[in-house]
Amino acid sequence: MDTLKTIIEIASAFVLPLLIVGFPLYGLFKKVPVYEEFVEGAKGGFKTAVTIIPYLVAILFAIGMFRASGAMDFLVEGLRPLFTWVNIPPEVLPMMILRPLTGSGSAAIVLDMIQQFGEDSILVKMVATMFGSTETTFYVIAVYFGAVNVKKTRHAVPAGLLADIVAMIAAVYVVRWLFG
Amino acid sequence: MLNYIWAGLIVLSLVFGIAYDTRDLTNDTYRNGSPFEVGIVPNEGGDFSDRRTDVSVLVRAEEYRSFYNVSEAPDSSFAGVVIRTEQGLQLRFAQDVAVPEPWNTLRQETSSRDNDLRGRLVNFDASLERGAVEFAPVRFVKMHAIASAALSMAELAVELALSLIGVLALWMGLLQIAEKSGIINSLVRWTQPMLRPLFPDIPKGHPAMGMIVLNLTANMLGLGNAATPLGIKAMEELQTLNPEEETATDSMVMLLAMNTASVQLVPPVLLVALMGLQINQLIFAIIIVTTISLVVAIASAKLLGRMKRFRQSAPRAGMEG
Repeated sequence: MDTLKTIIEIASAFVLPLLIVGFPLYGLFKKVPVYEEFVEGAKGGFKTAVTIIPYLVAILFAIGMFRASGAMDFLVEGLRPLFTWVNIPPEVLPMMILRPLTGSGSAAIVLDMIQQFGEDSILVKMVATMFGSTETTFYVIAVYFGAVNVKKTRHAVPAGLLADIVAMIAAVYVVRWLFG
Repeated sequence: MLNYIWAGLIVLSLVFGIAYDTRDLTNDTYRNGSPFEVGIVPNEGGDFSDRRTDVSVLVRAEEYRSFYNVSEAPDSSFAGVVIRTEQGLQLRFAQDVAVPEPWNTLRQETSSRDNDLRGRLVNFDASLERGAVEFAPVRFVKMHAIASAALSMAELAVELALSLIGVLALWMGLLQIAEKSGIINSLVRWTQPMLRPLFPDIPKGHPAMGMIVLNLTANMLGLGNAATPLGIKAMEELQTLNPEEETATDSMVMLLAMNTASVQLVPPVLLVALMGLQINQLIFAIIIVTTISLVVAIASAKLLGRMKRFRQSAPRAGMEG
């Protein structure tokens, strides 16, 4: 396992510089006017970023309001009995609800729980695993679909949320199995 | 689906905001208009003759609990200052001190800029060193909170989007070179057999497949900054195959689901920063969980796509306009 980890570590350190240097180098070798093509492509960056704005505003302000209203606390209290029933510690509940909604909010939860329970506690391992193995689904939807102006998302939301829910429940059991 | 979730978030936040504010009003959570009794002891040499006198504010825990009907109590002593103003005496607590609820909310509502809890000092008796502090009335806390959250998040959204410009431009420039020099094409040729079953509606040899591969690889290596522009580029390629511009194709949904499952061999930078060396223990757990979620994401994107309502909404050539 350690060798695998080292290989992954080396790969992730080198892949970016190699790509950034490698693409133009190979282009040069293939007689592509690299500078001109780079600038041509880079022009799209601004347009894409601006296209995303309305989608991101729509998603983020709704999520911000929801968090500020205190609805979260209510949800956590309401779901608590269900969670104790299926043997998932209720302390991880805020993470499960916030993770698909906000990246910074869920990072704050990890930080908060480290301070509250200590890095070594199994609860922190659970929320950190949840954080590490899922994405901020609604942000990804806003950015990826926003960039191409897709408004009708069809089954993207249910599919993404289903994967999130399963991942977070799996995180509880996997961490308990590995460290419990 | 997104329509209902979005509207739901907004409507629910209003409903909950009203509910919490009504509760605060009926319970009189902030004791608006009722002064709270405190001890005021001047620091050495002070005698309240100056305009400002530095003092210690003494709070009895028992009294705080019964006055506000809460279980937490503040420290017994705070640094503060008594200021002589034209409207009478004002007591200000030191900035940024830790105070429990409801004082914390009172402070946020009445002194958000200086962050010092402040109120009118009434019934003050310098010889007994006692007085009572009356805070400005606080109402509709949640209403203010949701309104300001909406505004500040709208601002944040623009900041986030604009902060992407540089990285987006960098990657789109590099990818343009990669396309022109044929790197994408060879990538497509190599990975097509593996990924074809997941994205059956991408024609053979189309560059979209190459972008998808780059996006998934960047994700796997924990390169969030590079993964986003690559994913956007992949979406743009998929959009060229889409007969109905505003509707997601099956391939788009699949790519999105795989991205939200975020296959990760290397934990995200942010988590490493938060957890420090402890992260080493978790890598294995994260790999297992992320694999499970990838499988679920692929399966649900495929299976949900076969459901009647999603099959009917799929973009089809000739449906436009």
